[in-house]
Amino acid sequence: MSDEVRIQEEDFSIEEEVRRLRASSKRIGAVVTFLGTARDFSEGKTIEAIEFEQYAGMALKALKQLRQATLERFDVVDVRIVHRVSTMKPGEQIVLIAVASEHRKEAFEACSWCIDTLKETVPLWKKEITPEGESWVVPHP
Amino acid sequence: MIRVLFFGMLATKTGTREAELELKKQGATVSDVLDEVRRRFDGFPDGPLLFAVNEEQADLSSPVKDGDEVAIMPPFSGG
Repeated sequence: MSDEVRIQEEDFSIEEEVRRLRASSKRIGAVVTFLGTARDFSEGKTIEAIEFEQYAGMALKALKQLRQATLERFDVVDVRIVHRVSTMKPGEQIVLIAVASEHRKEAFEACSWCIDTLKETVPLWKKEITPEGESWVVPHP
Repeated sequence: MIRVLFFGMLATKTGTREAELELKKQGATVSDVLDEVRRRFDGFPDGPLLFAVNEEQADLSSPVKDGDEVAIMPPFSGG
């Protein structure tokens, strides 16, 4: 798997993603990564696991558009995005955004914008599984 | 026939992931699809809702024609 944008059930390796990102160009002087992980506690509830539902097709398309928009909006060299959709236990990796640029400022800004925009534009829904039952997460503005 | 998809809490509330609708009206929009969904599913949530037509983000005024796939979605919560 060498695709820069993926939605997958299986876990991913940050090291491997960063290695592939860095292999894309010798112009890279900075790499910034955002890793989203599953928490065991949310708004007063113990979380046993989380699950993601996706609108398959549209979600991958939206992620590819997000990568393209990040490349166009910021002076960065390359971007990789991986989001998992299986059932995840607390501590597991959910999402990785890795941005490479010549200088650090652009990579920090692009990475921050990319995760914020992912939350608004990619059709994925998180369900929390607690000892009391399951509930869909209502996103915060 | 229009294929309507429900996701997340909307699939939970309607008890289904998809429905088929027939819209007789010429120049139908997503808003007409939503009206029909509300007629068919009692207590369909008021929103906020997001929409897509054939996997592209849409709004209430987006046109819908026979054979289209219309997704009615709760706010996204990925990441």
